[in-house]
Amino acid sequence: MGVPFEAFIPYAIMLGMFGFSGAALSKLRAMQNGGKRARHSVDTWDRQMMDRDRRLTGFLRGQTDNVRAPAGFELSNPWRIERAFI
Amino acid sequence: MSARQPRFNQHLLIDTTPLPSSIPSVPEIGSSSAPLLSASYFIGARCKPYNDDFMQCKTDANGTGETDCLREGRKVTRCAASVLEDVNKSCLEEFRQHWSCLDDNNQQLWQCRRWERPLNKCVFEKLNIEKKIPGAPENEVQVHLRKRQIFAHSMTTQ
Repeated sequence: MGVPFEAFIPYAIMLGMFGFSGAALSKLRAMQNGGKRARHSVDTWDRQMMDRDRRLTGFLRGQTDNVRAPAGFELSNPWRIERAFI
Repeated sequence: MSARQPRFNQHLLIDTTPLPSSIPSVPEIGSSSAPLLSASYFIGARCKPYNDDFMQCKTDANGTGETDCLREGRKVTRCAASVLEDVNKSCLEEFRQHWSCLDDNNQQLWQCRRWERPLNKCVFEKLNIEKKIPGAPENEVQVHLRKRQIFAHSMTTQ
């Protein structure tokens, strides 16, 4: 008695669809993060460091290992203020 | 209408007035988060006295630390810049592999021990800096030296 391979075709289709969606979502996330895996469980420290990376390189996930910061880096950290309403 | 306490913080103001020339200017560190994390234990090992001084000054200043501790802060920046320069000169390849791995893994050190071991070895041989976790109990193996990392995702990168 042979293996009833026609019965496995629906499972193969489901597996293929899940796999395709997973791969597509992962590629979208990588495109959003500059070719790297997405950050998760980001706390305030990580947010502050990612903001510093953006000030240093221009990209939120950009990294550099220069010793000196580019000119104007000391002044690029903004004060966060609110406009007067009156 | 009387003025109320400010509550929002969406608007940004960039103030470009430079510091007065009486304050010596030290170039800021240009490394981003992953290389800094990778080199952090080496910076800690070499710059421990300056870092402790700075933290003690900030604790004692009781609120005015941002302006009172500039001198200690300059020493910290100079020392950390010297460590980064030495690591860049002697162990650049291992350093870059380690921080690229960290960047891909949510800045979690336990996922990237495979690249950390050659970096630690190179830094120990060329710069004589050893990574030690401060505050670790003396009678146990330190976590970065253990063979099996219990939270790592894959066996190949731990």
